[in-house]
Amino acid sequence: MTTTGRLMAVLAMLALGAASTACATVQPWQRGRLANRCMQFSPDPALTAFAGHWQESREGAAGGLGLQGGGCGCK
Amino acid sequence: MKFLQVLAAIAVLGSMSVAASGGNRVAPTLSLPDRDGATISLQSLKGKVVLVDIWASWCIPCRAAFPAYDSLYRQYRDQGFEVLAINVDETRSAADRFLSGREFQMRVLFDPAGVAPTGFNVRAMPTSYLVDKQGAIRFSHEGFTDKALPQYRREVEQLIQEAR
Repeated sequence: MTTTGRLMAVLAMLALGAASTACATVQPWQRGRLANRCMQFSPDPALTAFAGHWQESREGAAGGLGLQGGGCGCK
Repeated sequence: MKFLQVLAAIAVLGSMSVAASGGNRVAPTLSLPDRDGATISLQSLKGKVVLVDIWASWCIPCRAAFPAYDSLYRQYRDQGFEVLAINVDETRSAADRFLSGREFQMRVLFDPAGVAPTGFNVRAMPTSYLVDKQGAIRFSHEGFTDKALPQYRREVEQLIQEAR
């Protein structure tokens, strides 16, 4: 295969890869389902907040606890 | 040296154009149904100061903003002030569940297809816009807190006092 042919093959593979992704942008006003309680990592936001508090104070760690929010990008 | 001066001039001009594009954008054309099925358009309210609120029942700050905007409406409606609370829930039943049992007098419109937020280019929920008597967007607020209410009042009063 010539260099041009190889380049074309690589470009075709990249185009195919880009076209086959399933990513979609969810707009702020389309996040109703994401804001649903069953979509939260934690079933009990208050307990998660408490766990986060002691984890922060004892271990100096923060984040990754999935606190409840509106799903609207403003909380 | 001259090259630097040209660069500085371009930078100043660039920053001016960004500042100018931030304000006085013409509000998009909107025509949406209210609770009774009557169609209300934003353009038909020209000559009035209009607060457009984009809200959803699942958005916690939107729920807090709802009575606050209604109180603004009650305070200023006699001075040519309107509120269009545009609900963007995907289902009407979700919106109706939130509205049932709530006392409000401002207009609530329904937009499950998201025409209004697309037209206004909404980036966060809730977002509200103050549209002046000529139909230009003069102020916008992303998110909501009670602490911002005095600012809302100042802006509404300023727009009401402006000539038509």
